[in-house]
Amino acid sequence: MWAADFDLDEPLTCDVVAAIVGARRSLVVRLVQQGLIEKVDTESDELLVPRRAVVRIRRMQRLRRDLGVNFAGAAVILDLVGRIEQLNRELEWRRK
Amino acid sequence: MAANIKDYYAVLGVKRGASDDEIKKAYRKLARKFHPDLNPGDKSAEDQFKQLQEAYDVLSNAEDRKLYDQYGDNWRAVKAGAGPPPPGWERAERSGSGPRAGGFDFNDFDFGRFSSSGGGEGFDIFEELFGGARGRGPHRGRGRDVEAELELSLEEAHRGGRRTLQMQAAENTIEVNIPAGVRDGSTIRLAGQGGGGTNGSEPGDLYLHIRLRPHPVFTVSGDDLEMELSIAPWEAVLGANVEVPTIDGKVELKVPAGAKAGQRLRLRGQGLNKRNGGRGDEYVRLKVVVPKEVSAEERRLYEELKRVSRFNPRS
Repeated sequence: MWAADFDLDEPLTCDVVAAIVGARRSLVVRLVQQGLIEKVDTESDELLVPRRAVVRIRRMQRLRRDLGVNFAGAAVILDLVGRIEQLNRELEWRRK
Repeated sequence: MAANIKDYYAVLGVKRGASDDEIKKAYRKLARKFHPDLNPGDKSAEDQFKQLQEAYDVLSNAEDRKLYDQYGDNWRAVKAGAGPPPPGWERAERSGSGPRAGGFDFNDFDFGRFSSSGGGEGFDIFEELFGGARGRGPHRGRGRDVEAELELSLEEAHRGGRRTLQMQAAENTIEVNIPAGVRDGSTIRLAGQGGGGTNGSEPGDLYLHIRLRPHPVFTVSGDDLEMELSIAPWEAVLGANVEVPTIDGKVELKVPAGAKAGQRLRLRGQGLNKRNGGRGDEYVRLKVVVPKEVSAEERRLYEELKRVSRFNPRS
């Protein structure tokens, strides 16, 4: 049995996220400013993002590397794939 | 043991003399089709993409490609310092029978894990943005992160609990604590449960993406639930106490007199559990339905109502 880490809503600083995904802080900030990854609403002056953003950034990095799309394109792709998945699930459920 | 010889050119669908540009184009074209992030949960697409990635890794590197062209599947052994294969290796390998020349089999070398789409986390592509030294140290050889989907019912997501998962590529099962209040699109990270690292380095993480099955009664809106409740015209006019389902069982709801079709009534605190405590609300949307058939007595009463009522819905 393994201990699970469920804390993907945990707010992280852009420095921490940047270190995890191996990017510069400025990239993480830019992705937030462009609305490509979500941020955590906080009264703090510091820009925070939820840990789940790490997964999204990694996917965007892979799409960029493997398909040559830019970050904005990768974000659109991920959003559309998510919508397709959702529609497929609904379709499957209706068929049942 | 001799492994199957991989023809990286065939994997990419290009000729042996293909230019770098042709190789890149072929890779991109196939990657668009098989990329795991575009085909979530599709194991065959993932396997195809791994082969594609492996082929491209080799053929897009001039040095590796040269070695591959010269030594075929044994190129890694040569690169790893084993030196060129002994004379006659090619004939022995292609004959496919008996021991290799000199009893030397390059396929006995263990070269560890190939880089794949999830491994390395895209370090190479970011050099232009982040500088060449980025990420090359501690992450080198770390196992790849693995992503999987976990489908839950709304009730399971609401209450949480334990689920035992059998991983496809592993013999072990993993017991996962589903925290109460996860949502569609939530991700659970299981540290160290991804792909194994090379040379004893740390394994990757397993990311479980939560998907909620559609519910026959409720639709989810954030922490709130919404459902449609059919009521009779007289219940709308006179008000009524009716039983309605909640995620935890049935409760009695007071429909106020003069209720309108489409009106939403709130059941405070009957929504979904929130991750950090508290609950959302349930909204009951009223739908006034009329009977398909009426008895003679009902018809008489409706006609009586028509006669005495001064209500004009179109005024």
